[in-house]
Amino acid sequence: MSNASSEAALGSHRLGGATLFALSARHVTKRFPGVLANDHVDFDLLPGEVHTLLGENGAGKSTLASVLCGLYKPDEGAVLRNGTQIRLTSPRHGLQNGIAMVHQHFRLVDRFSVAENVVLGHRNLPFRLRTNDLENQVAEVAERFGLPLDPKASVGDLSAGQRQRVEIVKALYQGAEILLLDEPTALLAPPEVEKLFETVRAMTQAGKSVVFVSHKLGEVVDISDRVTVMRDGRVTGSVARGEADTRKLAELMVGRDIDLSPRRSRVAAQDTLLHLDNVGLTRDGVDHISQVSFSVRAGEIVGIAGVSGNGQRELAEIVAGLQAPTSGEILINGARVNGIGIRNVRKAGLAYVPEDRLGTGLAPSLSIVDNLVLTRKRGFFVDRKAALDEAEAFIKQLEIKTPHAHTATRKLSGGNSQKVLLAREIFAAGDNSRVLVVCSPTRGLDVGAVEAVHKLLDEARAAGKAILLISEDLDEVLTLADRVMVLYRGSVVHEALGSEVDVELVGLAMAGLS
Amino acid sequence: MNVGNWRVDLEPRLTSPKWLYAAVPIGSLFCAFIVGGVFLAFTGHSPIGTFALLIDRGFTSTRGITNTLGTATPLICTGLAAAFAFRMNLFNIGEEGQMYLGMIGSAWAGIALAGYLPGFAAVPVVLLTGACTGALWVLVPAVLRAKMGTSEIVSTLLLNYVALNLVNYFIFGSRGFFRDPTTSFPQGRVIEASARLSSFGSTRTYPTVIIAVGLAVGLYWFMKRSNYGYETSVLADSPNTARYAGMNATKLTLSVLLFSGALAGLAGAMYVVGPAGKVDPGLLQVGFGYAGIVVAALARYNFMAVVLTAILFAGLREGGASLQISTNPVPISIAVVLQGAVLLFALGGEVFRRNRLRVRRVQQTVGA
Repeated sequence: MSNASSEAALGSHRLGGATLFALSARHVTKRFPGVLANDHVDFDLLPGEVHTLLGENGAGKSTLASVLCGLYKPDEGAVLRNGTQIRLTSPRHGLQNGIAMVHQHFRLVDRFSVAENVVLGHRNLPFRLRTNDLENQVAEVAERFGLPLDPKASVGDLSAGQRQRVEIVKALYQGAEILLLDEPTALLAPPEVEKLFETVRAMTQAGKSVVFVSHKLGEVVDISDRVTVMRDGRVTGSVARGEADTRKLAELMVGRDIDLSPRRSRVAAQDTLLHLDNVGLTRDGVDHISQVSFSVRAGEIVGIAGVSGNGQRELAEIVAGLQAPTSGEILINGARVNGIGIRNVRKAGLAYVPEDRLGTGLAPSLSIVDNLVLTRKRGFFVDRKAALDEAEAFIKQLEIKTPHAHTATRKLSGGNSQKVLLAREIFAAGDNSRVLVVCSPTRGLDVGAVEAVHKLLDEARAAGKAILLISEDLDEVLTLADRVMVLYRGSVVHEALGSEVDVELVGLAMAGLS
Repeated sequence: MNVGNWRVDLEPRLTSPKWLYAAVPIGSLFCAFIVGGVFLAFTGHSPIGTFALLIDRGFTSTRGITNTLGTATPLICTGLAAAFAFRMNLFNIGEEGQMYLGMIGSAWAGIALAGYLPGFAAVPVVLLTGACTGALWVLVPAVLRAKMGTSEIVSTLLLNYVALNLVNYFIFGSRGFFRDPTTSFPQGRVIEASARLSSFGSTRTYPTVIIAVGLAVGLYWFMKRSNYGYETSVLADSPNTARYAGMNATKLTLSVLLFSGALAGLAGAMYVVGPAGKVDPGLLQVGFGYAGIVVAALARYNFMAVVLTAILFAGLREGGASLQISTNPVPISIAVVLQGAVLLFALGGEVFRRNRLRVRRVQQTVGA
């Protein structure tokens, strides 16, 4: 049945003539144990087009991309290249058909040079490799598409953006006409994203097609000629440029109206609860944090933006008491808390939501109840009765989707486990804890879950908590923070009020160009 | 995997139904007996008859079950010792050596202290001394592990050989404190009568079996309810979470290893107050320490299940050994084969609890 219909579809496109798609999926269905990842999905890619596959985690967009590039074989349905059905058996087979995928996690050899990585796996190499020739060829391809790369550089020394360029050059070098990019902007700073977009435009001008796999609404609208939205393994809509705004796309993604507009403090900020004075951390002669000073007042969110690895983790751990600063002072409620250990810092009034929610904030194999017990005061015996009542209240109040309160937190979705963690740190800690340090609270979460987390943080702010939000997601900081700071190489290099932020300046500061 | 036109796959189960927890071990046992049966048939024994005899002599006859319980007593302790450490991801392989040290320590207390103690206190003091020396034997590996992260697997294992030679030295290599002074035959000095327990009637089961089972129940309850049990479970699951919550990982690691050593030492002490009454090199032959690790693994580190697997293991051992005495004697090696088969199938059976076996017919596809 499905075969017959796909043949019919195939025929009509051949007859159509005018719209010959570079790549199409017809009724593609892919099952994994317990999951229907793709449910009769149709997808069409025009030559020279940027087409985004948009959807939440688990919507099936990466599965579809993997089917298109030959990594997975579809259980049902067909993949068509220029109107002819192809049966891909491997990614290499896909490449022979001009289809290449750049994965979110790069597949490069750190010890090899850029040129060596690019030609790696190429079948038609001469027996004797002339390094100079290879390097020239690689440089030529890179140049043509506006991808500045030194072919001699060792990949281990490159930044995330540069590594991504190596992957793209590799695909182009091997003759890719269709490039599938899986979450390509996840690891990039704003200026690097802009550069990537330029490359994408250069490729489409050369007649190549690009498929963007993404869950980030904002950038999708900028770059795409067309957006296909997926939810629960099905396509919920396909819109051309200018036909839909982010709000409409979000609705297609989530299935209901989503509010992602900025939230600011509605009350005047009160007394200072957290104060950092010239805080520094030097380890092994390296300054991880240097001379950071700021304060957070009750009823406000101070946001710290920055590209990953610029001292965010260290700053959070210093404030939370997991590491002692090597210089400077930290005051919570006016009391000095330097190096007194996390238990005592908690007693002084701090709650902490670490970046790594499952594995640091929560014990993955332990139940929701046991995870709520974690920061409670415990006697010789553990009182789980109170924690159970608390867990059940949270589950109801925050709409945490779980079979019951004794489910292991690793079995929850990212959004639901984050709700458990936030609930514990915001509510269970009691009124005594009024300072909240939150790190990348929505990393990897769905749009719906992002909205819920932002709402929770906004409510905590309104309830008079002093919140330090450290996030690599600039949009998140700009959406929530009353004051924005940019951390670059351990120092605060830019500071602005949330309502008067110049996004361009912040982006430059994040790249160290202020 | 493809077999002809059939495709055989293992698919991970999202949830394991409750009945599988019982069905898989029983199925594993059944498969093990089939493999053992093949061996028996090849060596000219009736599989059914031999198994019936094995079960009778290991479990169902009065004499069989009492012998089995006697053997199971130290095995429960070493099993608990292994389970206690392993569930914390601390791989104490040194139960064997800690048990020898428990034997030495308790024999010392039984000889040197018991005479000065009131009758009711002698046995408890001797047992506790054994537990302490067992813990002491793991102290160095525990400190190295907790403070510097040195692999406890290697250090505890190596100390087993030291402990083994220590026992040999006390009995065969020297004429010291632990050697029986009344005879030139190399054997241990018998401890004070007040420090010994007599067995139930004419059986080989000692009252220490009650202590061993009580310990299993107590540990099960304590680790489930106490803050200590909670903190260790957090540390075992995620060291970063423990650090985040401000728990003292060093102290927890140290205490878990020491208590594991104490449990293993107790196994040796129970051997002294029970059947042996002295430092007895016979303990070196039976390998209760290593068997305890197997028992714990079979029980999946559940304290209550340790009791059952220890009894199963002891029964196979007792029954297997007694098969040598029958009208058509079965060599002990066949009993060992059976034990090995039980182990392999029990561990291998886990795959079927976590995964589902799926066989599908595949259509021949035309190559693209």
